[in-house]
Amino acid sequence: MLFNSLHFLFFLPVVVALYYLLPHKFRWVLIFFASCYFYMAFVPKYILILFLIILIDYFSALAIEAAKGRNRLYWLVASLLSNIVLLSFFKYFNFLNLNLQQVFLFFGKEFHPLNLDIILPIGLSFHTFQSMSYTIEVYRGKQRAERHLGYFANYVLFFPQMVAGPIERYDSLGNELKKEITPVYKNFSDGFRLILFGLFVKMAIADNIAPIVNEVYHDPLKYSSSQVLAAVLFFSFQIYADFYGYSTIALGCARLLGITIMDNFKTPYLSRSISEFWSRWHISLSTWFRDYLYIPLGGNRVKLPRWSFNILIVFMVSGLWHGASWTFVIWGALHGLMLLLERYFSLIFKFEIKKQWSVLNILLTIKTFVLTSFIWIFFRAESFSNAGDVFTAIFGGNTISNYENSFYVPVVFIVILMLSDLVLYNSRFDNKLSEYRTPYRWMVYTILLFCLLAFSGTQKFAFIYFQF
Amino acid sequence: MIKTISIKIVLLSLILFGLNGIYSAFFLEKDLREKSTEALKIRDTQSKTDVYYFGESSNITYLPGDSIENSISEITNFFFPKIKITNINKYATHGGIYKHWLKEIDLNVNKPKALIITLNLRSFDAAWIHSKLETQLQESLVLTRPYPALFNRFCLSLQAFDNKTEKQREQEMLEDWRTQQLKFPTPFKYKTVSEWDYGMSQGTYLKEDGSWDSDKIVLACHYIKSYAFNLNESNPRIKDFDEIVNWCNLNDMKLYLNLMAENSEYADSLVGKELVFLMAQNRDFLVKRYTKGNCVVVDNLSLVSGKDFIDQNWTTEHYNYKGRMAIAKNLAGHLKDQFKTEYKLAY
Repeated sequence: MLFNSLHFLFFLPVVVALYYLLPHKFRWVLIFFASCYFYMAFVPKYILILFLIILIDYFSALAIEAAKGRNRLYWLVASLLSNIVLLSFFKYFNFLNLNLQQVFLFFGKEFHPLNLDIILPIGLSFHTFQSMSYTIEVYRGKQRAERHLGYFANYVLFFPQMVAGPIERYDSLGNELKKEITPVYKNFSDGFRLILFGLFVKMAIADNIAPIVNEVYHDPLKYSSSQVLAAVLFFSFQIYADFYGYSTIALGCARLLGITIMDNFKTPYLSRSISEFWSRWHISLSTWFRDYLYIPLGGNRVKLPRWSFNILIVFMVSGLWHGASWTFVIWGALHGLMLLLERYFSLIFKFEIKKQWSVLNILLTIKTFVLTSFIWIFFRAESFSNAGDVFTAIFGGNTISNYENSFYVPVVFIVILMLSDLVLYNSRFDNKLSEYRTPYRWMVYTILLFCLLAFSGTQKFAFIYFQF
Repeated sequence: MIKTISIKIVLLSLILFGLNGIYSAFFLEKDLREKSTEALKIRDTQSKTDVYYFGESSNITYLPGDSIENSISEITNFFFPKIKITNINKYATHGGIYKHWLKEIDLNVNKPKALIITLNLRSFDAAWIHSKLETQLQESLVLTRPYPALFNRFCLSLQAFDNKTEKQREQEMLEDWRTQQLKFPTPFKYKTVSEWDYGMSQGTYLKEDGSWDSDKIVLACHYIKSYAFNLNESNPRIKDFDEIVNWCNLNDMKLYLNLMAENSEYADSLVGKELVFLMAQNRDFLVKRYTKGNCVVVDNLSLVSGKDFIDQNWTTEHYNYKGRMAIAKNLAGHLKDQFKTEYKLAY
């Protein structure tokens, strides 16, 4: 079920009402069935994969806790392997075969791979990563294994964040799901504020930009340099508004149920460096990779060459996590490379970014935005040749314009998005709004409501991150 | 808490009421122009229209090089120079869309003297009912639903209408072809469209060299899929036209259902008399059902000769100027009863 659907706008109030009507001990049952229903609205049979992940990790965690010595590690490896095999089968099987075919071709041999007609279950990468974090934490002794299968299932299935995160840890979401919650006015007001703002960001901003980006990326060579450049910059805002909007709605839905989940975004386009960008963009994934890959590889307590290698590995794996294509790997690698260059630069020139805002910081922010925008080309392009066409179109100097639709509406909304980021710098919409007096708050509600109802995109686009 | 929430709900309702007014006054027309052009055209033309002609591509398609390129409605208007016939056209429309267009006519502004609505036999078949173009047609109706304009606009963004995927529609169409039983007065070896289609595809037509004439087979199969059905009350389009006829009777408006010509000659020569029987039976069903009260069925089914169809390799209701003129003349002949004094022989 999509958050931006009439179906969901009926589903959510019913779940919230039942949630507060039921006694605490039965609420997990409601959340479980509501989450299953939510997920099954996409492709019903794929819920079985989720059940399998839940069962594997539930029993693995119990086994890890009960085992001693190296057996703990064996159970952990078995659990992680099971998750990775499942993920690989659905996400990387065809990609792997395609690459094997290319390798065989290179050596002049023929290889006819089995091409499975598989649709990637929505949000599989999110579920597996979330579930894996739990067994790792149990192995590390930082988390006790959950005895209640229902609560553990809800940790993996919790509908507000099940298909596109944030990727939660058991010590936060697991405990939140167990809390006995009474209806509190602030939860409702914060929840509605976040949902309203999230829907506005997704439907009015991202969905108004999407048609332009889709059209230009479909055949970039048809458009003038400035139009392709505009589409490249627009995509930066589209993917931000799309994912930020989704995450904000997820926060709002959870808040209506009295449950707190983590912030996934903190005004990332106001970052002054790539490393700062990654502390503000998709925070739950960045911290996952930090805790479960970067630090185990040695983190920053190793020599510079090894550290550089670690950074590249982490970013390339992160790219591959996003999609089974080399364009994603290059996208990740370029981010890693930029981060390394920043580090070398600061080491050589003893340069440190100061916290207070200055002209230099503004220029650094623009630099970071431009860099990330160009790197997004590999993320958005369907292939290397498509990415090549985008670069050719930008730098080819084509002045013939083939795009007839107006950029006016998307540009207005992008300006609103950036202004809201400036206002919300190091804050969040619901908290910031609480600082305002009632008339100003209602003025904001009215504007958002009007933009959402009257100017949302007229084509519906699924959230981009659902495909991961 | 209940009191606070109640106050806020009232305040929110007032805000929504105001926003709906602002949207209707300043932004609705732009959206209608983009998504519901036909509804807007009806609203804009009503004050100077005597007769509306609702149609699909059959009205406006002409053969490049035709000596006249006018639509059927325009040619019909030649017979009545003193009245204004306004055509409202959209490709692939059908009864389910026309019935919504009717609601755009504000009877208090200027009640049209008559309505001419295209009755396309193929629009009752499974391929048209489950056409992939249906989603776009349904989208065009969202902004004109009888709800607050701002709510309709939001529904459009949420794609809250009959928004099935092409694949879903195709499956429904195949299901209909597989399950709907064909009825003939005498025993016939094929019971469903699927069976008939399959039978036809098994080498019915051979070339002189003994190979299959696949072009001919494909066309014959297409004729079967277009016309092989028995009309009855359960057909969704029949329900739509029932509503249209009732609306006209209720509002005392003369209604002409203009049954378009089909290429019966080719249906006969390619597929056989069974298919022509079904076409005629369905025509009789429509004529009998709708020739009553204010409604007249203008039967053009066999009026146009096979060679006057523009598309010789597909089933369409696109005619060259001879075909369009023949239909317009037949239609004008029926309109003449109502507009006796305005009638003037055009050709």
